[in-house]
Amino acid sequence: MHIRSLFYFIGEALKSIARNGWMSVASIAVVAITLLILGSFMVLNYNVTLITEDVKEQVQIVLYVDEEASGEDRLKLQQKLVGHPQMEEVRFVSRDEALERLKRQLGDRSYLVEGYEGEDNPLRDSYELRTKIPEDIAIVAGEIKEYPGVDYVDYGSGVVEPLFQFTGVVRWMGLIFMAGLAVTAVFLIAHTIRLTVYIRRKEIMIMKYVGATDWFIRWPFVFEGLILGFIGAVIPIIIIYYGYNTAVAWAQTNIYFVSLVSPEDIIEEMVKVLLPLGVILGVLGSSISVRRFLKV
Amino acid sequence: MAKLLIEARNIKKRYQMGEVIVYALRGVDFTLYEKELVVVLGPSGSGKSTLLNIIGGMDRASEGEFYFGDFHLHEASERQLTYYRRNEVGFIFQFYNLMPNLTAYENIDLSAQIAENPLDIDGLLEQVGLSERRDHFPSQLSGGEQQRVAIARGLAKNPRMLLCDEPTGSLDLASGIQVLKLLRDFCDDYQKTVVIITHNTEISKMADRVVYLKDGLVDKVEINDSPLSAEQVSW
Ligand SMILES: Nc1ncnc2c1ncn2[C@@H]1O[C@H](COP(=O)(O)OP(=O)(O)O)[C@@H](O)[C@H]1O
Repeated sequence: MHIRSLFYFIGEALKSIARNGWMSVASIAVVAITLLILGSFMVLNYNVTLITEDVKEQVQIVLYVDEEASGEDRLKLQQKLVGHPQMEEVRFVSRDEALERLKRQLGDRSYLVEGYEGEDNPLRDSYELRTKIPEDIAIVAGEIKEYPGVDYVDYGSGVVEPLFQFTGVVRWMGLIFMAGLAVTAVFLIAHTIRLTVYIRRKEIMIMKYVGATDWFIRWPFVFEGLILGFIGAVIPIIIIYYGYNTAVAWAQTNIYFVSLVSPEDIIEEMVKVLLPLGVILGVLGSSISVRRFLKV
Repeated sequence: MAKLLIEARNIKKRYQMGEVIVYALRGVDFTLYEKELVVVLGPSGSGKSTLLNIIGGMDRASEGEFYFGDFHLHEASERQLTYYRRNEVGFIFQFYNLMPNLTAYENIDLSAQIAENPLDIDGLLEQVGLSERRDHFPSQLSGGEQQRVAIARGLAKNPRMLLCDEPTGSLDLASGIQVLKLLRDFCDDYQKTVVIITHNTEISKMADRVVYLKDGLVDKVEINDSPLSAEQVSW
């Protein structure tokens, strides 16, 4: 393609966008709304994923060693834990270390545990265990409970399982919703294209009479779709960026214990996903509409 | 003797309408010479538009032979037909068919852009008397003015022939005469072949040659030794 032609096509496309007025606005709006909803779900999904990962990081089994356990039992226990195929991390916390921790946690009130050092320490030795797959935690906990020298095992059951269930459901619903949205978007865009048909068919017919090749007819439409799709993607990116910034600012003051994906990461993802998607939607939409009417 | 431009023999055009086959052309012989103004006359439905579209390379005949010089249009590829339309043929329609989103100048430019030896657009605009209307859109122009833009567009690519389908069909008498005069002038000044199809017998009085079409067949051909000027025609 000659540079001159390229400018000609882009010029034609811009002219057509400006002069088609409300049709252009409608096309941009369809792309923008579709991508806005899609983008919002992506933002939600990123955060659910992040929170789930966070929780998974924190999920651990605490195994308390029986006070009465013999040295031999303790050694066996350690070996069995380390040798367990599903175990990711095995950390021994001695009763002294546990007491130190408790003191630190109590801070100003550490005097409460003053005098319990050494032989008087009421705490027990324990293990902090993390499984390779966090979801396996209940099964593994059940198995190791039976090991020799174990007093009892605690893994926050009643909290962890419902949480995993909940994030699973959110994910699935998001996926189903997005699939439904994609179908709706295709319908919306197809409908918008059908609206442009009347004017377009005549224009394409004229171009053919003038002696334009199919590609010469096609290019301005392709550029037009590209530009419309691009604008249609930039709008939701801007909205999501500002909206998300506000949401994060609010979350940080109100529910500070939840860590969210940073706005910079979100904008990067949005640009990477929504921009190409908008351009593809636009180009595809216009190409399909010309294709149908090149065969006049 | 004028030089032969187009020679078509036994042109047939069929349309399949469900179960029925409709014949728009039933075996038309048609010749076009350089620098002549031909009127194809016939009642509506006689196959005039079909013939014009085949001559112009927009449509293919179902049967028959069709030569433009050595170029055999009947066997041409899509691409060859496109080049033929682009460089050899200018179309003019009853309803002007201008791009609604382009100005007068841009409409003409559209056709000049892709042609191999285009004419100067502003010069053409001046000749059709629309220099002032250069940047107006079709909706801001009268029917006669739009048709004059369409003529300038048809001519801008400097084609060998102008094919006009009822060019005055939706114009008042004065505008119609103006358009006919332009067509006659371009035929003479630029040495173009002009074909006008119409059902208006008056217009045939200004033709060098009149081809009568009836029921998809050529009824008769008349040579007019003393054609009237456009101003002398009236209806
Ligand atoms: N695309 C088409 N499909 C079916 N029939 C057609 C088509 N185009 C033209 N015809 C038929 O061919 C005949 C000639 O049409 P046309 O060339 O438009 O005549 P005219 O221009 O003299 O009015 C008519 O009977 C018309 O119905």
